[in-house]
This record gives sequence, structure tokens and C-alpha cells, in this order.
Amino acid sequence: MKKKNKLGKFFTLPVIISLSVLIVIILAVLFAAFLATHDPLALSMSESLQGPSSAHLLGTDKTGRDIFSRLLFGGRTTLLGALGVVIISVIIGIPLGLFSGYFGGKVDMVTMRISDMIVAFPSLLLAFVFVSSFGRGLMNAVVAVGIIYVPMLAKLTRSLVLVEKNKTYVEASRAIGYSHFQIIFFQILPNCISTILVQLTLDIGYAILDLAAMSFLGLGIQPPTPDWGAMLEEGRIYLSTNPLIALAPGITIIITVVAINIFSDGVQSYLDPSHRKLPSVKKIRRLVGVAHE
Amino acid sequence: MEYVKIHTIKPTATLSVGFFAFSRKISDAMSICRCIIKVIGGMYMVNFLFKRLGQFIIVLLVASVIIFILVRLSQVDPVSVILGGKQSSTETVANLRAKFGLDRPVIEQYFTWITGMLRGDFGFGYKYQQPVSELIAARIPITFGLVFIGSLTALILAIPMGVISALKQNSPIDTTLSMLALILGAAPSFLISIIMIMIVAKVAPSFPVTGNYSSFGEYLQRLSLPSLALTFSMLALASRVTRSGMIEQIQAPYVQTAKAKGVPLSRIITRHALKNAVIPLIAVISLQIGNMIVGAVLVENVFSLAGLGSLLVAGIKSSDYPIVQGITMLLVFIFLVISTLADIIYAVIDPRIRQSI
Repeated sequence: MKKKNKLGKFFTLPVIISLSVLIVIILAVLFAAFLATHDPLALSMSESLQGPSSAHLLGTDKTGRDIFSRLLFGGRTTLLGALGVVIISVIIGIPLGLFSGYFGGKVDMVTMRISDMIVAFPSLLLAFVFVSSFGRGLMNAVVAVGIIYVPMLAKLTRSLVLVEKNKTYVEASRAIGYSHFQIIFFQILPNCISTILVQLTLDIGYAILDLAAMSFLGLGIQPPTPDWGAMLEEGRIYLSTNPLIALAPGITIIITVVAINIFSDGVQSYLDPSHRKLPSVKKIRRLVGVAHE
Repeated sequence: MEYVKIHTIKPTATLSVGFFAFSRKISDAMSICRCIIKVIGGMYMVNFLFKRLGQFIIVLLVASVIIFILVRLSQVDPVSVILGGKQSSTETVANLRAKFGLDRPVIEQYFTWITGMLRGDFGFGYKYQQPVSELIAARIPITFGLVFIGSLTALILAIPMGVISALKQNSPIDTTLSMLALILGAAPSFLISIIMIMIVAKVAPSFPVTGNYSSFGEYLQRLSLPSLALTFSMLALASRVTRSGMIEQIQAPYVQTAKAKGVPLSRIITRHALKNAVIPLIAVISLQIGNMIVGAVLVENVFSLAGLGSLLVAGIKSSDYPIVQGITMLLVFIFLVISTLADIIYAVIDPRIRQSI
């Protein structure tokens, strides 16, 4: 793992703001059970379509469910779903990329052909067909979208491994007697992991958008489970009268994805030293002074 | 080196001629094409074209097999979908099976489907009881119009945005444009459409947002807002790629020479740097068109447009497999055609690509 370089600043302003926003959202969603004022599934037709009030922080939807509580619990579904997508793509994609990059030859060709087939489908279309065969629902949608993300991750891992494979430490490890498996997972992978992690954080953002799109079309989460995409779909009809039903989940999605993008941008520029400025003279003097002692 | 090159190219060229020589006419046409291509791009171009087109056909076939298998793996029995859940006698069931060709072996069903598609017959919808090709043909103008207008507008907007951001790097204009592109890219296309409907309803309530169109003018009106939503989704990545491409070009030696010569900056950009800067943009856009096709599906839902997307979603929800198969195959075909064309254009512009496939 890359050690934190004293000359580089990780917590620049964009990173601080986006990280705090993300932490707030994640904590709010984790502690949804404590923060929510009502049960997200509790129907109450007498209170339907109300605006924001002291009882219902963001109003109610057409069946009287509290929007704020649905937002918090829906965040659980959406964020856990996005996490599931990334985990599936990691479990399948990274080993595929590692093996095809390290061993080359037939394995490489087969893996690249498979990724080409998956990429031949315009993004979510394969997920649509998958869901149409195996039924709608969160699990199937997560698996389908996870499979779609595998080629990207496999290609990235493969290109990183191709660069690392020719370095001397790999040759030295082989000479000492490490097995291929040990070299791949304990020598090469730790060096590639920082770049892969940046891509994974971006992927969580894209997964949120894709899962919201599938729930919006009714192909992912099934009602009455709350989910940001499904809430958008329900609120669409009431835009002129109660815009909050659709705007609340919508703005939350935008804020989350923008924060993720800014955060991963910050991590990327931290890991890439060419963006750093030279440290001030004072700092250099201090460091050189330390070395002299 | 030269010796080896000639000996690898000549056999390939000869093989390709021999392969198509089952009719003199076709082989003559092919020789003429080969001559033209050779003039344009040299022997590498001919080989590249053959390999790329071969790749296109293979991927198309494998994709069709994948779609077919995925659809056939479903648990839902097609006959129950056709019957609409009603009980009926075994005779009717058997008749329906024979009518829809469901009692034939699977491989034969696959070949019937493929050959049917080549003739333009996409099968019969289960629920709609109409030929799928009729259903599709009526809705093609909307979906293709959305994707076409959307990507065209994205190109027209992204290039100036990227160029201005690159010229005024790290200035307030650059940061604002990048922020704007970032936020627009983070918002899902259906969300932007919802917000746009809201704004338009407040600002210009008489604007026809939903409903059918009867003339070309109304067609453009109906499609303007949805294509704008699709444009925003592509704009983020496209302007970023143009910006970095432009920055790379500005730092190239030939630009410095031109500046030293005294060429005005505007002419350097429009006449020299721009052409090189948009080359990566072609590659990015050909991939993003896939996302735009899916975005069109979502946007059609919001704007209640009768396009391929809404038909596909309805087909999925009602387990109407010929529709799902047919539309997916069509969309995959269009996407593959576009990406192959983009690859070929890329190879024409940048000769280094011709050796890499």
C-alpha cells in the first residue's frame, strides 16, 4: 500500500467537503432506524400528499408514507445495492484481469473475447434481458448490473498487471520459489490496488445511477420497498402539485454521485504525483534539517 | 524486415480475393474496392477492414446467441403468456405451440429466428398478436431521432466547451464549466427530464410535452426536450475528453512553431489543433452512444413517448419474448454498426491503429 507522503496533501478542500457529505449520508442511512420518524412502509391514507410539516419533515406521498423515512431506508437499499454490484464485479472481474494479464496466451484471449461480448451490448440492455428472464427484483438487478461492470474492471486490472509483470521483483520472486498464485495475489495485486480502488469508488457512483434507472423502470426493486429510483417513479406524476416526492430522492442521488466523483477525483490527484506542487522552502529546510540530525 | 512484410501481406490479400471468388462479378467488385482502399490507406487498411468486419459479424452472431439463450432460460412458459393466464384444453395449447414454432428443437427455433430477422420478420408478439416488425417500425423514428439528435447536440456543445476550457485552463470559466458538466453528468437522465418538465410547465405551459405528433415540425418539438436531457448526460464526459485532448495539442511543438510564426491563435485552433484534439472524442462517443440508447429508453418513459424503449419495458413486464428478443437484437445491431464505423473512421484518420487489431 502506498504510504502517505508528507509532501502531498490529501485533505484538500474538495476532498474534505465531498468526504464529509458522503460520511453524513452514509451515517444517516446506517442509522436510519433511529433517525426515521415513521415506519417507511406504514400506509396512512388520511395523511396522503401533504407538504412538509413538523410531523412529516418532507411531506407524504400518495399513500401517506413519510418521505423522509422512505428516503433514509431507501438509501439503505440503494447504497447496499450499489455496494453489491461493485462486490460482484470485484469478485469476478479482478481475478479474471489478474489471470489474463499474468498468464497471457489462451486465457487472455478467451477473457478478452468474453469482455468484448458483454461490451457489445449497450450498457443496461443486457441487464434488461437478464431481468426479463430471471424475474425482477433487487438480487437479479444487482447481479445483472454487476456482470455488466466486469469487463471494465477486468481490462483495467489486466493492463496494470501487464505493466507490473515485467518488473524485476516478479522475476526475483519466481527465482526464490514463490508459486504463481502467491506472486499474483501477494506481490502484484497490492501494487495495483490503489488505481483499482479509485475506479471502484467511481463504479459505486455509476452503480447507484444504474440501479436507480432500473428501479425507475420497475425492473429492479419491487414496491413497497423504498428505493431512490422507485421513489422518483412514484413521484413523477405529482410534479406540479407535490414536487417534493420526486425531488427529494432526486437531489439526494445527485448530491451523492457528485460527492463520490469529487472524492475519487481528489484521491486520483493525490495518488498521481505529477499534480503536486513543489513544497515551500520552509518545509524543505525542515525536512533536510531532520535528515541532518 | 521488408522481405517479411511482403510475404505476410500478399497471402492475406490473395486469400481474401479467393474467398470471395464464387462469382466473377463479386470478385471484380471486390478487386475494385481493394484497389480503392489500397489507395486510401495501403495494404494495412485492407487487412484492418477485413478483420474489423469479420469481428463485427462474429460479435453480432454471438450476441444473438446470448440473447436467444437468455430469453429461453426464463421460467415463464411462453404458452401461458399467449393464453393470457386463462385455462384451456390441451388441444389449444398444442395448436398454439405449433403455431409459434415452440415445439421444434431449440436450435431450429434459433435458426428460424435468425433467418426471419434477415428477411425482416421478427416473429409474432405473444400479447399483441401483431408482427413484431410492424410494432418496431412504427416506433423507430422516435428512438433513433432521440439518439441521433441527442448525440449531434452533444457533439456541437461539447467541442466548444472543451476548447474554451482548455484555452482558459484553471480559470474561473474552466472550473465553472467543469462543475456544470460534472453535476449534469451525475444526474440521471430521467431526473433531468423530470426537472425539465417541471421548469417548462412553469415557464411555458402551452409547450407540447406529451402527446402525439402529426408533422415534422411537431416531431422536432416533441423530441427537443428529451434529446436535451440525453445531451446533458453525454456532455460531461465528452467535454472532459475534448478538454484534455485540446490541452495535449496546445502543448505540442507544432503549435509553438505556429505561434512563433505569427499565426493567429484562432486559426491555429480551428485549422490545426482541433482536428487532432477530437480524435479521442470519436472513440469515447462511439462507446457513449450505448449509454445514450439506454438513456433513450428511460427518457421515453418520462415523456410518454411511444418509442422502442417503452415497448421493450412493456415486453419485459409482460414476458413477451419475441418483442424483447427483437428489440434487443435491433439495438445491439445498431450499436455494433456505430462502433464499427467509428473504428473504421479512427483507422482512416490515425494510421497507427491499422496495425493494432
